[in-house]
This record gives sequence, structure tokens and C-alpha cells, in this order.
Amino acid sequence: MPGALSRAAAIVGAAEAKEIGYPETPKTAIQLHIEAIKAVSEQTGIPISRINGVFGAGWSSQIAEYLGLHPAYIDTTSVGGCSFEMHVHHALAAIHAGIIDVALVTHGENGWSQRATGGRGTGRARGMDPWDPGSLYTNPYGVSGAPSNYSHAMTRHNHRFGSTPEDFAHISVVTRQWATLNPRAVMHSKETHPFGGPITVEDVQNSRLVSWPLTLLHICLVTDYGGAILITSPEIAKSVKTKPVWIAGAGESMSHSNMLEMDDFTATSAAASSAAAYRMAGMGPEDMEMAMVYDSFTITAGITVEMLGLAPRGEGFTLWKDGHAAPGGRLPINTNGGGLSFNHSGMYGMQLLVEAYRQLSGTAEDGVNGLKGKQTSARSCVVNGTGGSLSTTGTLVLVSD
Amino acid sequence: MANYKKPIPEPDPHSKPFWEGAKAGKLMLPRCADCNRVHWYPRLICPHCHSTNIEWFQGSGMGTIHTFAVQHRAFGGWADEVPFVTAYIDLNEGDRMFTVLRGVDPNKPESIKIGAPVRVEFEAASEDVSIAFWRAV
Repeated sequence: MPGALSRAAAIVGAAEAKEIGYPETPKTAIQLHIEAIKAVSEQTGIPISRINGVFGAGWSSQIAEYLGLHPAYIDTTSVGGCSFEMHVHHALAAIHAGIIDVALVTHGENGWSQRATGGRGTGRARGMDPWDPGSLYTNPYGVSGAPSNYSHAMTRHNHRFGSTPEDFAHISVVTRQWATLNPRAVMHSKETHPFGGPITVEDVQNSRLVSWPLTLLHICLVTDYGGAILITSPEIAKSVKTKPVWIAGAGESMSHSNMLEMDDFTATSAAASSAAAYRMAGMGPEDMEMAMVYDSFTITAGITVEMLGLAPRGEGFTLWKDGHAAPGGRLPINTNGGGLSFNHSGMYGMQLLVEAYRQLSGTAEDGVNGLKGKQTSARSCVVNGTGGSLSTTGTLVLVSD
Repeated sequence: MANYKKPIPEPDPHSKPFWEGAKAGKLMLPRCADCNRVHWYPRLICPHCHSTNIEWFQGSGMGTIHTFAVQHRAFGGWADEVPFVTAYIDLNEGDRMFTVLRGVDPNKPESIKIGAPVRVEFEAASEDVSIAFWRAV
């Protein structure tokens, strides 16, 4: 008997770039992608705008951005020559699951032409980011790393909603309160860090300016981290001795890759990814008893809770300012102390997942490495990761029995 | 020009009209000949209607400040110029560019207004490459 995914999808067209092999004039990788994509669209009569899943070996978000697409499924599995067979496999599953119905698997690589272009448009361009077509128009202007980008979003939020950097400083203050309850947090106390322990709004605002309006304490830590989770089938989950935390809902989306293409500096695609996750879960923001939201910067967290429907537009920061997100509040947020005061290794999504599991499984006070954290009574949690420059988002709705 | 210590872009072949225009002090912009919409950054395909029928035209060189920040930490050649203002510019023709904004006081960010008009100018970073900067007017 065929498996459930058998015949769940079909390949309906296949095309190549105009010139392949040894082109007369050098080609860039993006050119090879676009020629092939345009061709298969024309071949099948399926408009490019109809694509809702983008699969590529390493730079799917840039391809999607280049095409002006906001796909519901983004796969960058890049494991060598067999990657594209795997993409087909993933697309089949995604289509079977009803997440998408038109998947683009694309590849462009100028192994020949890059010799002629000195590496440009390939993977080894000098000074610019070859995987990011927009970087040619942003990198000359002195921005260096995430803080120098995210500050522009804070300025726009302040302008549009009349919020202030002080409003957002409350996010740092409250998140630090959680860190003081988590001995594993870098900023737990003066014992763990010279500047650890409780802080005030004044401390945040008086800390060193990095990228106005962001001061140092609006910005996450840079630390080491390791983390892992195991996900199993319901059958296995019921048979192991640990407590299951169910993935009730999941969604993903993106609004751009380079901030140059960020349409609304006060919004992220978490609105779309959380809508998908809530829909799958049959739950809404009102059902969430806690939240774990990516807080690379105060502005990241403040905008995100607005996108997740946990606060009205323009007022996300009030969850912290009014104490709701704090220990003992009605909606605990970032109970580990966050990227701001617990730990941020560069990509913080795993820290979110580990803390969400600990809280919902009731094991936060069992401790890791012998240290106890702060347990909440939450039985549901919305988890939202944010990548890039407020670019990409993944949302999970997790629940315990 | 030989003293230009900041990153100098290496233009790709698809945006040649922009870089040639910059050298001549003109702001050249890509526009879709089918749906007539301007897009930035330059592409081989229109991100709005997916036509590959892209044409270049000379823009007005005028725009407004969409949002901005003041960089107090930078690296390489830019480190010598902190604090400086970076900004996203809404082009009068549509879409948005990124820049280091000139003609504003980085020590008085409250004096910089979102929506204020700006004009493009070009600085020769090398013999081949001129870089667009925007100045408050």
C-alpha cells in the first residue's frame, strides 16, 4: 500500500537558463537562476507570483526577495549535490501537508564565468556579500552588523506611534528581572558579571550609545551557547518518561532579506507566521499564557509582540512597561532573561525553544547543570524567532497537557 | 580620491547604467517598461510584475527621509567618521535607497526630521566608481 505522501505532488515543468556551459559573456549566479525561473514559468503558464514555496541550496530568501515573493515555505537545505533531490522531497511533504501548492526548486551557479568575473556574483566577491544582491547598495555606507541596522526601525516606530527609546528601555529592565531569577543568565548578578543584577531605565538610557537611538543595554549579549531538542511522533512521545510539549501550531514567513527592502520598518512577517501558527493550533493570542520572543534588541521584542497579537499596534512595549511581562505578571515573556540578559550566541532561536520546553514541561526549577530557574504556571506559549534584519520569522504555538 | 578609505563597491554587470550615471553625476534608476514601476536595488526582473523588460532613466535626484540612525560605532574607514547619520531615502520616483546622510548634525538627532527633503550627490571613490550620497536641503 502506498505511503500517505505518494502522488501527493507532481513535477509539472523543467527549464534551463538561456546559456549554459561556457557562456560567451560571463554570467552571474543570480542571472542563471532568473533565466531558468522565467523560462519554467513561461513553459508551464504558472506565473512567478503564484509560487508560494522557494527551495534553493543556500540563498532562498535572497531569491525570493529578488522575485518580490513572500513565500510560506523557505528551504535552504544545502548539503552538496543531492540537495535538490532533497528539496523535491521536502516540497512533496509541504504540499501534502497543505502548507503550499506551488514549489520552486531553483539553482544557479557560475562555475565557469566566475573565473572571468574575478569571483563577482558567485560566492567570493570582495567586500560585498555575494549572496545578497542588495548589499552592493548598502555596504558602502558604514553600517556594521545588526545594531547599526535595527536602530532605523526604532526611529521609525518612535516617529509613527509617538513611542520613545525610554519606553523600550523597560523591555531591558524587565528582562533583566527575569535574568536575576535565572542563575545561568550572564547578567544574573554581580557574581556572574560585573554589570549583572537589576537595572533601571536610567541605566539603559545612560549606557554607551552604539547606534542612536540604541544604547548598549538595548542590545543583546554576545555569548557562547549550545542547545538541542528532540521531537518525536505522538506514539513515542507518549511512551518516554519525559513530558511532551505539543507543537500545536507552526508558521513561517519573510518580508525581505536586506533591510533595504523592508517595506514597513515597524512591522515584521511575524504577523503572517503567527497567523498561520494560530490557525493550525485553533488558538489565538488570547489563549497564550506566556511568550518567548526573540529579543536581539528591545525594538525586536517590542515589534514582535504587536505582530503576535499580544498587544495593540504601537503599544508592544507596554507589556513590559506596565509589568505584565514581568515575574508575577499576567503574561510572562522571556522567562530565561532573554537575549538581552541571559544568553545570545548570534542565532538565539534554540535558546527560545529550550526555555519554552522547560516552562511548559514544568522543569524550569529542576535546573540545568544543577542550577534552578524560575518556573511559571503557563501551559501554553507562543515562540517567535526573528532572523536577519527583522527579515524572516518562524512562530510556534506550544502547549502542555 | 586615492584617500578614499571606505568600502568601494565592485559593480556587477547588471547595474552598469547606474554606475556610469553616478560617474557623470546623474542618478540613473531602473524601471519596468511593462508596468512602469521603479524598483531599487537594480534587478534583471521586475519584482512587481516579473517582466524582464527593464529600462533605465535619469531620476530627479530628489527624495525624503524615511527613517534614520546615528552610527557611533563603525569599522574600517568609517570608524574615523563617527558619529555619522545613516538613512533610508524614499525616492520621489518610488522605492527606497540607503545612504550616509550629509548636511545634518549627528550630535543633534532630534533636529533631523523624517519626511524632510534630500538631494543626491556623488563622490568619486576611485577612478571607476562614484558613490551616491544624499544631503538634506
